[in-house]
This record gives sequence, structure tokens and C-alpha cells, in this order.
Amino acid sequence: MSARETILNAVRAGLDSRKVDAEAARREADALLQDLDAIRPKLPAGALVDAFIARVTSPKVAATAERIKDITELPAAVRRYLDAHDLPPHVALQPAAVLEDLDWVALETRDGVKPDDVVGIGIARWGIAETGSLVFHSGPETPILANFLPLHHIVMVRERSILAFLDDYAVAVAGQRPPRNVNLITGASGTTDIEGSLVLGAHGPAHLHVVIVENDIHGDIDADKSTPGASS
Amino acid sequence: MQEAPVSFKLRADRALADPTLKIAIDRTTGTAERKRAVAMTQFPQFEAARERGKRIKNHVIANLDHYLLEFERNAIASGAKVHWASTAEEASQIVVALCKQANAKRVTRVKSMLGEEIGLPHALDEAGIERVETDLAEHIVQLGGDRPSHIVWPSMHRTREQVSEMFKRAHRVPHQEETIEAMVASARRELRDKFLSADVSISGANFLIADTGATCTVTNEGNAELTTTPPRVHIVTAGIEKLVPSTEHAFLMLRLLVRSATGADVTQYTTFHCGPKQAGDRDGPEEFHIVLVDNGRTRMLADPALKEMLRCLRCGACMNHCVVFRQLGGHVYGGTYPGPMGAVLTPVFDGLEQSRDLAHACTMNGKCQEVCPVAIPIPTLLRGWRDRSWREGLEPAAARFGLGIHTFVASRPRLYRLGTAIAIKVMRLFSRGGLVRGMPGLGAWTKYREFPAPAKRSFMAMYKDSEGKR
Repeated sequence: MSARETILNAVRAGLDSRKVDAEAARREADALLQDLDAIRPKLPAGALVDAFIARVTSPKVAATAERIKDITELPAAVRRYLDAHDLPPHVALQPAAVLEDLDWVALETRDGVKPDDVVGIGIARWGIAETGSLVFHSGPETPILANFLPLHHIVMVRERSILAFLDDYAVAVAGQRPPRNVNLITGASGTTDIEGSLVLGAHGPAHLHVVIVENDIHGDIDADKSTPGASS
Repeated sequence: MQEAPVSFKLRADRALADPTLKIAIDRTTGTAERKRAVAMTQFPQFEAARERGKRIKNHVIANLDHYLLEFERNAIASGAKVHWASTAEEASQIVVALCKQANAKRVTRVKSMLGEEIGLPHALDEAGIERVETDLAEHIVQLGGDRPSHIVWPSMHRTREQVSEMFKRAHRVPHQEETIEAMVASARRELRDKFLSADVSISGANFLIADTGATCTVTNEGNAELTTTPPRVHIVTAGIEKLVPSTEHAFLMLRLLVRSATGADVTQYTTFHCGPKQAGDRDGPEEFHIVLVDNGRTRMLADPALKEMLRCLRCGACMNHCVVFRQLGGHVYGGTYPGPMGAVLTPVFDGLEQSRDLAHACTMNGKCQEVCPVAIPIPTLLRGWRDRSWREGLEPAAARFGLGIHTFVASRPRLYRLGTAIAIKVMRLFSRGGLVRGMPGLGAWTKYREFPAPAKRSFMAMYKDSEGKR
């Protein structure tokens, strides 16, 4: 007998050989997702974007954030960040058309991120106000390493794609074919492995700066990738 | 993994006699306890969330075969290869075989307690494959040549001074300044090119998502994604109890897990892995393997005295809040999992005869159950092991003899009262400032402990007096 059969038989024996009714299991699982407000933290009153920014800049996430009106203002925002941190004018771009199409004027940009890059610029698909998280899906325009290699990570997110709770993200993608990787990124990388004291910049970025864009952006990242059908 | 055959008592003695160990344990568990307490005041919904989390895990366990098959179906559909392993040996053999098949010279590993449980570090070393631990704490453990002593902070038994010395010996460009920041930067420099040049990566899973076939990991350092993205092959090892029905259920469990583990609301990185590199992807592995491991879990499922332990999320809150763990540290427990949860699990993996002492290393103060994010009645489960150990005749003759005498005396009231009257007199004779710090015949007990001197008279004697006065 294969290990698979052995394990499944042992599971069934442990459950008194009761036959599972898939439909009943699904109903029960759904019922466990009811009344979410009773089991998750409350958001501060007011606009979602304000709650998101408050969270991102709170000591818990310890990132910095700013709002811009239009995506065309992003290069200037990046420039200000570089100047404020005394960084050279070289940035690595996540290879997304919406970023590459911008006029980066005096900044030297490179497509793709290298292991020793100082500043990387990315675009997140969603922001989550509950936790201050940024959500990335791997794809042709979103290499995963771009989120982890640079020392400074500057991430743009659209105001309209800020969600209230983690659960809202799960609902937003339910039924779609998942990407290879989903990264929820909340603050810079950190470690408490030496005597429990927090140090930022463990293996990933040491600084995270979030730029929220008010106006809608034309063009989407990896727009046509999601196809329904993976869920059963 | 088995410790050298040194008795639990001897290991405990050595730990108690080590002055730096106590400092190291206190620094980390103290912080963890304080941070969790703050997180709880900011999450008044915790009790309700915990009840829900308990029900979700119970639901999965009650339908485990259904969810295992659903997960397998969806994982295969995503392009993953799913393997099953009944035992620790089978599991590590599968992983080593996959590494050999991939001609792996260098393997990078993300911290996973299941990997430790199935003896993966040892199996890879035996196979002559270079193993690079990328989690900072596991890197420290690897350099120190010992074993993890905590499931969230595996190197908590090391002080910063010890870490500094190890890094200076092992790193190519070690830190100059004696700060923790500089030490972390040294490890970052040392490990970065190893991430990018490995042939295979191995990680664990905090959750297996049945309706997508994805695996979910929560980390803070960023080493996990740097580890699992560049190599051609990524292998995930996970216990069969890690299933949840959907991503939404996973988020409910995450809220409980992270707050209980570190006091944060969410880890810096929450990542879902679903299959290998897809068409058009810029990076990611060509092959994605998932090894589903039983190793005693189906036995726990069939055992009413252990079934509830299958809810365990491996957060470590029970050990951070355990008075015994905080005196001894993790190594004393001798198994993969230390602290209260380890005292329940180790007898499952290593046999009760080897580990029956663990269930006794508990004061039954109930703190572990109180902080458990899925309300596992750990003291009850430990009492179950004590009971079984007694019934199976595993308790040593001295304990049986002593308890026999106690039973004889306690069931004869006059004799019992005479005995306590004498004991009170003798103990008060050895008390100083209201505490007994040493007494002939009690040397082993009072070496690291003291106890309050007894009252002048026994309760029964006082009770009798007050009855007489009425």
C-alpha cells in the first residue's frame, strides 16, 4: 500500500470511517466565516485611505507614506525620497509598463532588480487598511525578487485598490486562478532573533516607503492573467 | 531527533546551573510575553476569534480526508507534485531523493519545525549536500552546531556576545561594531549570494489551502522568499494537520497565530505559494513539490486523549508563558518541540518511555491553555500522559514505592495526622525567615527552589479547635 493510501485509511479509521459529505462540509466551512466583525479588529472611523496611511506609518508597521494626485507625480516623489535619504539617483523599476512609461527625467532607471540594488520601485495591486499590508501577485510584470533585493523599497498603490480587511482580499480573488506567489508585505524586513531585539533590514529591504495615488491609473499590471477555474 | 541518552533530570540540572542561559531565556520570553499582552488589549475580539479558530480547526480535523484530497487535487492542477510520507524517515528520504534527482550541490532552507521533526538537517548532511540555513536564528544554530531551543526563536539560548563570537569566526566579512544591528548586517552579507546560487530550496508551511492548493508561510526576515524564488526546485514539507478550507479561513487563523507568537498583528511577509513558475513569470522554481507528512498525526487523530493537539498552530505562546520552560529553556525537553506543546507531542514521536518525564515537568498552573490561540487543554493532555505512564508501569520503582506509602498513610487519618504533626515540627526547624531553603533529604529539591515554611499547626488541628469553641 502506498503512503498515500496508508495515511488516508488511517485518517478515515480515526474518524470512525464516517463518509464525508462534501456539500455539508462546504456549508459548515462557509458558516465559520459568518459575522466577521465579531472576530476581527475594528478600523478607525473615516476614509479607508486615511486608516491605511495611519496604519502604514504607525510604529507597528514603521514605514513612511505619502499621497500624490496623479501617477505622473511619482518620479518627483521618488526624487524627494532619494534627496531626503542622501541616495544616488539610480533606481531599479519593477518591469511594469505603468512604471516604465513614466517620464523619469533626471533619474537613471533600470528594468529589473539586481542583488545589490539600493532603491527599487514597485507597484502593489492592493493595500489593506487593517494591517497596512501591500499585496503583490507574481507575473510577467512582477518578479518576486524585486520585492526583496533592494535596500529601499518604494511602492505605489492606487487609492481605489485599498481594501478594509484581509478577508476582503480573499473575497476579491476567490475563484480566480492563483498566481505562483502572493506576497503580503507589511513594513520592512526585520528580525528579533538576537535577544528578541528588533533590527530592520534583516535579509530584505530595510526601508519601505508607500506612495498612494489618488487618480485612477490607466493600464493594469498583468491585467489579463487571472482566469477562473482553480477552485473546486 | 534524539538527544544523547542523558536523563531529563540531568539535562535540567545542567540548564539550571548555567547562568547565561537564564539571562538569554528571560530576554526573549519576557519581551514576547509583554508584546502579546499589549496585542491582546488592542484586540478585544480575541476570545471570540479564538473560539472561531478552534471551530475551524475542529471542522478541518473532522473532515480531514476530504480536505487532504481537495488540497491534493488543486495542488496538482496548479502544477505541483504532491508526495505523501507516513513516517519521519520516509519524509526525509523523499526530500533527499528530490535533491539528488535535481543534482543539488547546495540547498537553502527556510526554518520549518516540521523539517526539524523529520530530521531533515541531519539527512541532508548525511547525503553530503551543502545545507544553508537562511533564517537568522537557524543560521546561528547551524554555526553553533546545536539544535533549536524555541520554535519561534530557535537561537534564544544564545546571548549577543556568543553570536558575535560565532559570526566573527565564520563570516567572510564580519561585523566590526559590537551591536546587534552590525551582526544582522554581517549575516545579510554572508548569506545573500548563497540564496541566489542554490539548486534547491526547502521550506515548511503554516497553512495548506484546500480550495487553491497553495501553501502559506509567515515570516519576518524576507529570507523565505529570497530562498524559495531563485532555485530551480522548491520543496515544501508540511504536516497533514495544516489544512484550512480556504484563503479566508487562513486569514482568520493568521490573526490568532501572529499575535500569539510575537505580539505583532501580522508578520512582515505573508506568502502564498501555488505551483511552479507560470507562463510569463519572471522568476520562480521550475518544479514545486509538496511532501505531506503524517508521522504520528493519524495516531493522534484516533486517540481521544491527543486529538485536540492537532489544532496546534505552532505559535510558541505556551512556552513563552510556562514557568518551567522559562527556568529550563528548550534543549532540556529533548525533542523537536519544547515547552508544554513539546511535552504533549514528544511522547507521540519518541515514545512515552523515553519522554515520560516531560509530562511531570509541569506545575498544572494552566497558563498554557489560557494563552493558546486555539484553546488546547494542554494540562489535561499532560495529565493523560501521566496517567498512561502510570498504567503502563513506566514510573520508576521509587515513585511507585513513595506513592504506595503515601496512599497507605493518607487512607489512615490518625497515622496521617501524626505524620503531618511531626513533619511540621521538623520543617519549621529548618526554616529561616519563613522559607525552607535546605533540609536533610531534600537537597535535590531545594537546590534551585525554596518553599514557604508550614504554618504552626495543620489545618485539621485548627479546624478541630474552632469546632470546639462553638
